[in-house]
Amino acid sequence: MADRAGTWRPPPRIQSGALRAVLWVSVGLYLLAAALTVEVELARVTEGLARAGDLFGGWLRPDFVTRWTDIRAGLLESLAMTAVATAIGLVLSVPFGLGAARNLVPAPVYIVCRGGLAVFRAFNEILVAILFVAMFGFGPFAGVMTLVVASVGFLGKLLAEAVEEIDPSPLEALTTAGASWPSRVVFGVLPQVLPRLLGLGLYRLDINFRESAVIGLVGAGGIGATLTTAFSRYEFESVSSILMLIIAMVFAAEMVSGHLRRRLL
Amino acid sequence: MTDSAPNGPGAAALKIEDLVVRYGAGEDVLRGVSLELRPHEIVGLIGASGSGKSTLIRAIHRLVEPTGGSVVFDGVDLSGLDSSELRKKRLRMGMIFQEHALVGRLTVMENVLCGTLGRTGFWRSVRRRFAPEDVEEAFSLLDRMGLEGLEDRRCDELSGGQKQRVGVARALIQHPDILLVDEPTASLDPAASVRIMTLITEVCADDGLAAIINLHDVPLARRFCPRILGLHAGRIVFDGPPSALNDEILTRVYGEEALEPHVGAGADLGG
Repeated sequence: MADRAGTWRPPPRIQSGALRAVLWVSVGLYLLAAALTVEVELARVTEGLARAGDLFGGWLRPDFVTRWTDIRAGLLESLAMTAVATAIGLVLSVPFGLGAARNLVPAPVYIVCRGGLAVFRAFNEILVAILFVAMFGFGPFAGVMTLVVASVGFLGKLLAEAVEEIDPSPLEALTTAGASWPSRVVFGVLPQVLPRLLGLGLYRLDINFRESAVIGLVGAGGIGATLTTAFSRYEFESVSSILMLIIAMVFAAEMVSGHLRRRLL
Repeated sequence: MTDSAPNGPGAAALKIEDLVVRYGAGEDVLRGVSLELRPHEIVGLIGASGSGKSTLIRAIHRLVEPTGGSVVFDGVDLSGLDSSELRKKRLRMGMIFQEHALVGRLTVMENVLCGTLGRTGFWRSVRRRFAPEDVEEAFSLLDRMGLEGLEDRRCDELSGGQKQRVGVARALIQHPDILLVDEPTASLDPAASVRIMTLITEVCADDGLAAIINLHDVPLARRFCPRILGLHAGRIVFDGPPSALNDEILTRVYGEEALEPHVGAGADLGG
């Protein structure tokens, strides 16, 4: 009661002042030690800077013509992979998403579906792609499989969260009208989450296109494969044109999906 | 057999005995409620928030599983039924909800036809191929509710009163013997409240339905319900005609605060 004068400080998160000081000092020391383990060789840096000159020089002269057939084939393959994988991913994510919603299913189903979705999202696309390339060999099939797995993990989890947030009262009303579980899902749940699912699907479409360029680097087909080839031949002019096309496609996808999303929601 | 109550005169439309509902390990929400609802009878259920009004209505439908006691509807104890038998009985107990509980993104027609899902095959309903007689009935119910021409509108575009009437139509297309109505006026203004209560009681009279109507508004209950039940802390503390509702009984139902506009002693603790 006595010292309620005009001074007030937020209570510290860590009470002991000594402990706070020790923590700051040890974090500082560790960062310093860690930085010292990274060797910096001056020779390699200068060499690298020279090569960077070539690279950027190449980028300023994009060449769409020389390798156009390869580039076109790569882009079309990427687009096909993206479309197929997103469509399959959307369809497969619905059962997983419904099964992973706590308010719809009994605990065992929930645990199995949540677990499945967690496994799908556990590894980065590149790792999954390496795995599928090892299984099915080089080419777009491994790429599509990779993107399907990633899409189901992504869409299924977000769908489950959307389902868990729905207004439960229409569902109760359907129950009191004697509706069966599938009817309750179709009339009470899906109408509430469908716009969200379509929005997420469109978002996943442009993620998948970008990923298709990356997983191509490990042999899973698409424009990424064309890109690696160009890199390994030191054809920086072609690399430049490919990168530009990827940026343009992502930009276009962004605009189209944004427009569609506004129309749908 | 399915459309009208097979009971003779005097038989109960619904008989509840010693109903107990307990949530988790906490205290009982309903502590042994017994009541008998005669055919065509309209009962107003009043009580403070937390007295168990909603729970009682939901326990009849087994939206909340009763912990003990029995609910006998159409000669059968509902608590013993498996899910497909229960669905058939549910079809004949129409429920009208506090916040209308419509699916906002579906059309008015789809919401009304949701009341037929208990008797419509799954694939037919998915493709929206409802039975012609159900569609015809839905149209005539919309006319009756004063919603003609609105069948293709999305429900989230309607006013509160209109939504509530879609909810009434959805309950009626189930061909119920009784209506269970949970706070139908909670989200409506006074004029709309009177209109919806008039509509519900008229529908019950016209179609010969019995009804239990939860109301927080005592004057509305007095005006529309020939029989009033008072629920306090999970027990029925009053059962009689509106004329018997006096201050003493309202105090028993709602507690002391009901009649006193201000909280008296202890209000100036903070200084």
